[in-house]
Amino acid sequence: MSKPNYDLEHHVKKATGIGDPQCFKDEAGEAKFKVGDKVRVKDLPDVFYTRTQAYTRGATAIVAELVYESPPAEDEAWDNCDNPEWFYSLIFRQKDLWPEYPDTFAGDTLETELPERWLESA
Amino acid sequence: MSKNHKAAPMVDEVSEFEILELAVRELAIEKGLFTAEDHQQWTEYMHTLGPLPAARLVAKAWLDPEYKKLCVKDGVKASLEVGIDWVNQMPTKFGTPSDYCNLRVLEDTPKLKHVVVCTLCSCYPRPILGQSPEWYRTPNYRRRLVRWPRQVLAEFGLQLPEDVEVRVEDSNQKSRFIVLPVRPEGTEGWSEDQLTEIVTRDCLIGVAMPKPGKTANDVRHIRPAVNPYGH
Repeated sequence: MSKPNYDLEHHVKKATGIGDPQCFKDEAGEAKFKVGDKVRVKDLPDVFYTRTQAYTRGATAIVAELVYESPPAEDEAWDNCDNPEWFYSLIFRQKDLWPEYPDTFAGDTLETELPERWLESA
Repeated sequence: MSKNHKAAPMVDEVSEFEILELAVRELAIEKGLFTAEDHQQWTEYMHTLGPLPAARLVAKAWLDPEYKKLCVKDGVKASLEVGIDWVNQMPTKFGTPSDYCNLRVLEDTPKLKHVVVCTLCSCYPRPILGQSPEWYRTPNYRRRLVRWPRQVLAEFGLQLPEDVEVRVEDSNQKSRFIVLPVRPEGTEGWSEDQLTEIVTRDCLIGVAMPKPGKTANDVRHIRPAVNPYGH
């Protein structure tokens, strides 16, 4: 087995004086969704690592903001920064996440951020 | 010292996570990712941080509508005015080792109340808020707040009327969050310093609302478990 060739300074070199996620700006290309779009969270496999909460899978949300570009956590956990994506801030109705959420508080919401690969138009 | 004196252990118990942290840290040092000196310098730096800069940010935003707009648009830039440079100030020079550099300031309105949680771990805007309180890291708070926010807020002493929308912010990626609460009544004509005093850490996480005269977080009483683990 050959010795893996890590570039241990990769992240440091890229982010010093700029910050992370700022250092991935303009690397994701055109965003697939825009503010106000209705999206559904895909239920993708997550064998090793994910930051997409189980309770969001299959739920619909509204895009509130395009927040930044970055490699998704699933890639970055393995030091793969080759494919940055747009990250979206999404607003869910609590009623859509928890079936027993009381109707009295139907206006309550939850906001969280997910990368593009987890989203489809709804 | 009597003859019968026996040295008592300083620490009752080391958790598995502490052992894991130690093991990973030592492996990282052996691998050359950072040095032991780096680690000590970062740790000591992190423990100098506290919530005062964020409290001042809120006070400034209450007094200056233009600054408030900047806070909501670009939290990292707004932090510079309260002396926090998210990127360059940290000893690493690329932000903190555990926190990314995208600060979002969540603006409350009389009809919208934000509250922050990290269900997956305990993401927290440390550069501007310091170390997170113990309860913020507990599975109890993390798993319950997203699903029963009003009940959990009520446990913190915050009972919100029906017509106020609660918005839970689940901090799960590279943004970090602080809440910009509504300026309370009874603070007309106050100076920036006076206003800063009533913006407590709990107000900035969103589990409390600022109130004239209230300048400290509530002390939460811990009741013993009915069926304690291991007994």
